[in-house]
Amino acid sequence: MPRQFKNIINQILMAVLTIALALLIGAVLIAISGNEPIEAYKTLIAGAFGSKQRFSETMVKTIPLMMMALGTSIAFKAQLWNIGGDGQFIFGAILSIIVGLYSGFPAFLVLPVSMVFAIIGGGLWAGLAGWLKVKFNANEVITTLMLNYVASYFLSFLVYGPLKDPKGFDFPQTEMLSEEVQLPLFATGIRVHAGLFIGIAALIIMIFFWKSTFGFKIDLIGQGDPISRYAGINVKKTIVITMMLSGAFAGLAGWNEVYGVQYRLLDGLVSGYGNLAVVIALLGGLHPVGICISAFFFSALLTGGATMQRMTEIPYSIVDIIQGLVIVFIITRTAFKWKGGRRIHAK
Amino acid sequence: MLSNIFTVSFLVSLLASTIRLATPILLPALGQIYTQRAGILNLGVEGTMTIGAVAGFTCAYMSGNLWLGVLGGMFFGMLWCLIMAWLSVTMKANQVIAGTALNILGAGTAAYAYRVVFGIQSLPPQIDPFPTLKIPLLGDIPVLGTIFFQHNILVYLAFILVVVTWFILEKTIFGLKIKAVGEHPRAADAKGISVSGMRYSAVLIGGIYAGAAGAFMSIGYMNLFTEAIISGRGFIAVSVVIFARFLPVRAMWGALLFGFASALQMRLQAQGIEIANQFMLMLPYVMTILALIGSSKKAEFPSAYTKPYSRLER
Repeated sequence: MPRQFKNIINQILMAVLTIALALLIGAVLIAISGNEPIEAYKTLIAGAFGSKQRFSETMVKTIPLMMMALGTSIAFKAQLWNIGGDGQFIFGAILSIIVGLYSGFPAFLVLPVSMVFAIIGGGLWAGLAGWLKVKFNANEVITTLMLNYVASYFLSFLVYGPLKDPKGFDFPQTEMLSEEVQLPLFATGIRVHAGLFIGIAALIIMIFFWKSTFGFKIDLIGQGDPISRYAGINVKKTIVITMMLSGAFAGLAGWNEVYGVQYRLLDGLVSGYGNLAVVIALLGGLHPVGICISAFFFSALLTGGATMQRMTEIPYSIVDIIQGLVIVFIITRTAFKWKGGRRIHAK
Repeated sequence: MLSNIFTVSFLVSLLASTIRLATPILLPALGQIYTQRAGILNLGVEGTMTIGAVAGFTCAYMSGNLWLGVLGGMFFGMLWCLIMAWLSVTMKANQVIAGTALNILGAGTAAYAYRVVFGIQSLPPQIDPFPTLKIPLLGDIPVLGTIFFQHNILVYLAFILVVVTWFILEKTIFGLKIKAVGEHPRAADAKGISVSGMRYSAVLIGGIYAGAAGAFMSIGYMNLFTEAIISGRGFIAVSVVIFARFLPVRAMWGALLFGFASALQMRLQAQGIEIANQFMLMLPYVMTILALIGSSKKAEFPSAYTKPYSRLER
């Protein structure tokens, strides 16, 4: 137990160091652009936490990012490089809005049924890539990436075509969900909504998931093919299911965005969450609690960065640079300790 | 409405812009053929192209010389891929993650550099792009001349590079070595070929091509820089390489297919014709997946694809 404890402390220390280094380089870049780094970071922190509204915005972003990163971590643990979170998010959103707008179910049924549909939508979209991998040996990196484009054009087809709001002044978006099926807000004037509880539930499920037999199987598959075959695991089946689980979380994030934030489908719904989910999952060390913390950190960075850009001369691109640096540092660090223990990210 | 589509002038302008729009996909795809043949999947092409676009624009704007812009794009594209090479070859990092990192970092760095150099301006600075170079005699042929021989010089160069790339990969020792380290790094190593040396070169060449393509976008196509200038073309290039099964001539057809899809969409939009063009835009991606299904079983991928090489490992 003490050794495990030391390990956790080590991991946290490394994550903090990684972020500190990235922020330091960010500070240098802010200075080069002719601004005050300390002032800049103060504005950023105030922008993320400074008022009830801003803190609520940070939370609103944390929920989907955490859900997606949890999904990403499932695939990554099995060394399956699912980078198609965006596409899975979109399919979850599409299936869930169809339930909300056209099913005619009573309000109390719409929320749970649409959530299940979103999970199925995201799961099937990712499962498709998993099936292509085991059946045709098609590289999942490329297929999930391609399926992102297919999903986003399909979304755009729907909102420009069959699902367009007839009274929407020709905007590319669907009708709005009726008020009784929207996720309730915590208070008026802020946007954080009851999806937070679903997010927490997802987090708890994931913590227990890794202790389950199936979680252990995924972990074994990630260790390499021979080990899992000696252990008698049906690798092909596990790969497809792992991908489906991974996509299910992205689909859930899509549901959360539709029923908690936008209340409708619109073109460009997802805006790069998939990429961020990769960063968050890695920074969190693929551990649910780590992912929760780093999702919170990154959404604070995004919300604060947006405020910083509005209030000062400092470009938002600094936020992108900090994100990119964080991943570069993580993979370099992993490579450095490669000789010592078992590798986590490198294949 | 349909009569508007099936006119000669519509078809001519459609095919001419197909060729123009294929160029920024063809160039990085050719570069990635080297990289992927050497066994490295560089998903960071998108970011590299954005870096090339900002570097090319800045160099051209500051010096007033468009060719210096192209060189600048190539140089910084190469420099950017040096990070990729270091991460994937020396550090043996996972290539998918490294590429994702360089995309995010590249988008940020390009936007930041542009902002630091040009500040905030109400009107984005512009330059005079490469002029159309009408090839004598050939350019005067009706219809065909307009389609094929009235482009700027970078377009011609990109298509000439198809042959050059094919020649280097198939007919030179350098090309053989690149393929060797992608197919069987251990055997290549035993033969005295430096695996990491060849892989570094292959990634850097990919960076040069991608940087040139970025510069094409900013100084040969848009004549300005915006943050969304590449908008997915880098990812398309990666998929074209796989679609083309790592062959330059097939990559040209792949790039033309993507070029045609986006040209058709633009032209139809300009005509105000509303059809579900999203499916047309989707088509190339679906075809890439289908091509992947067809090719993966035949083991046309380099055997050491995405696998780092270490002498210590068996």
